[in-house]
Amino acid sequence: MAWTWFHRLASPPHVYRLAGRLTPWLAWPAAVLIVAGLIGGLVLAPPDYQQGDGYRILYVHAPSAWMSLMVYTTMAVAAAIGLIWRMKVAHAVAASCAPIGASFTFAALVTGSLWGAPMWGTYWQWDPRLTSELILLFLYLGYMGLRSAFDDVQRADRVSAVLAIVGVVNVPIIHYSVIWWNSLHQAPSVMRLGKPTMPLPMLVPLLMMLLGFTLFFGALLLVRLRGEVLSRERAASWISEAVRP
Amino acid sequence: MTNSGAMGRRDDAPVREHEGTPIPARGDHERSAVSALSAARLMLARDLKLAFRKRSQLVQPLAFFAIVTTLFPLGVSPELTRLRPMAAGVVWAAALLSSLLALELLFRDDAQDGTLEQYALCGRSLTWLLAAKTAAHWLLTGLPLALMAPLAGLALGAPTAAVPGIVASVAVGTVALSLIGAIGAALTLGIRRSGALLSLLTLPLEIPVLIFGARATELAIDGRAYGAPLQLLAALAVLGLTLAPLAAAAAVRINLE
Amino acid sequence: MSAFLDMGGYAAYVWPAYAVTLTVVVLNIVWAQRLLKRSRKEALHRLAIGGTQK
Repeated sequence: MAWTWFHRLASPPHVYRLAGRLTPWLAWPAAVLIVAGLIGGLVLAPPDYQQGDGYRILYVHAPSAWMSLMVYTTMAVAAAIGLIWRMKVAHAVAASCAPIGASFTFAALVTGSLWGAPMWGTYWQWDPRLTSELILLFLYLGYMGLRSAFDDVQRADRVSAVLAIVGVVNVPIIHYSVIWWNSLHQAPSVMRLGKPTMPLPMLVPLLMMLLGFTLFFGALLLVRLRGEVLSRERAASWISEAVRP
Repeated sequence: MTNSGAMGRRDDAPVREHEGTPIPARGDHERSAVSALSAARLMLARDLKLAFRKRSQLVQPLAFFAIVTTLFPLGVSPELTRLRPMAAGVVWAAALLSSLLALELLFRDDAQDGTLEQYALCGRSLTWLLAAKTAAHWLLTGLPLALMAPLAGLALGAPTAAVPGIVASVAVGTVALSLIGAIGAALTLGIRRSGALLSLLTLPLEIPVLIFGARATELAIDGRAYGAPLQLLAALAVLGLTLAPLAAAAAVRINLE
Repeated sequence: MSAFLDMGGYAAYVWPAYAVTLTVVVLNIVWAQRLLKRSRKEALHRLAIGGTQK
C-alpha cells in the first residue's frame, strides 16, 4: 500500500495535480505563522539585555540561515533519490530547490552582516557561521552553474545530482572545519543572545518564523515543481488536460 | 609485468591497446579485487609513462606555483618579518590554485581521443582505474608541489627547521586535493571552457583541506607540534580516497552516455 | 510608534535586514509563479502547434 503512494509520486501528471492542490495548504499557514512571528518578534518580545532591540534581526536571520541548510539537504536527498531510483520528478525537485536555497543563503549573509555591523563595528567579520554561509552560497552557485552548462536535461540532472551528494557530505566537514579555524583565530562571535537559554517570549516568535518559513519553502517548491514538471514533459498527453483553463 | 595468465583471460577476449599498454578486456562479468588492482597498476604505469613524454606540461603548474608565491612579497612587503605570519596561507592558496590548473592533465587527453570511454566499457572497475589515474596525477603534480613548497616557505621567511613539516603537510594535503579535484574534473568532463566552473565547484569542497593544511604548515613554521592538524588532513585524504573515485566514476559514466 | 521605528537606535540595521528578507521572499514568490506561468504557456503553445517534440 505504501509502495503505491511512492510509485504514484513518480508520475508527473499525478505530481502536477497533487502539487497544485497542496500548495494553498502550505501557503496560508505559512503566511499566518510568519505574520504572527513578525508581530511577536518585532513588537511583543522584550529587548535583549545586551543588544537591546538590535537582536530582533534574529527573527529574519535565523529563518534564512535555517532555510539555506534545509533546502540544501532537501536538494541533495531529492538528487540522490533521482539518481538511485531514476525518478525524473525527484530531479525536478532538486532543480527547483537550488534557486530558493541560494536566495535565502544570500539573505542570511546580508542579515547576518547587518546584525554584526553594530556589534562588531564592521560589516564583515570572518565569523564561522557567516563564513560557512558564504561557502554554502558558492556550493549553490556551483550547482546551478553546472546544471546550466548542459543542454541535455537528463545529463544535467544526473551530473548535478552527483555534485549535490558530494556537496552534502562536505557541508558538515566545511562547517566544523570553519568553526575550528575560527576558534583558533578570533574571539567568540556575538551572534547569539546574551543568555544561554532564550526566554519564552523571545523563543516563541522565533519558532513560529522557523516553522512558517519551512512551510513557505514547501509551497514555493510545489509551485516551482509544477513549472519544472511541465517544461520537462514535452509531448505527454496529460498536459492538454492539465493546462487547459 | 603482465597479468594475462593469472587473471584467467580467455584466449578469445579482445585486447585493446593504447600507446603500447594493453588493458585486457573481460569477456565475462566476473569481478575480483585482484584483477581490479592489477588493472589499476597498469593504468598507473601507463599514465606516468605518457606524462613523461610531455615533460614541459608537468612543469607548468609548478611554475605557476612559483609565480603566485612571488606575487605576495611584491604586493605586500619585502620584509620577511611581515611575510612570515602569512607564509602558510600563501603557500596553501598557491598550492590550491596550482592543483586546479593541473587538473586539466587528469582526463583531458583520454577524453578527447576516446580512451576514457574504452576504460568505462572494458569491464574493469572504473572506480579503481580512476583511483589509479588520480594517484598518477598526484605523483606528477602534488608530490612535486610538496617538494617545492618548502622553497616558497623559506622565501617567505620560514625557518629551515620547518621544512619537514611543510613537505609533510603539503604532501598529504595535495593527495586530498587531487582526489577532490578528480570529482570536479569528472563532473565537467564534457563542458567546453570549463575552467571557471571547475574552480567554482572544486574550491569550496577543498576548503577543509586548506584550513587544516594551512594550520599544520603554520605550526611547523612556528616550530610547534603539528601532528593534530596533520592527522585531520590525513583523515580527509583517506575519506577522499574511499569516496572520490566512486563519485568520479559515476560522473564519468554519466558524461560518457 | 517612533520608538518602535527607532528600534533602540538600531533602526539602520534592523529595518534594512527585514527589508532584504522580505524582498527575497517576495521575489521568490514572483519568480516561482512566473516560471509556472511560462511553462504553462509553452505547453499550450506546443499543443497548439500540434505534435510531439523531443
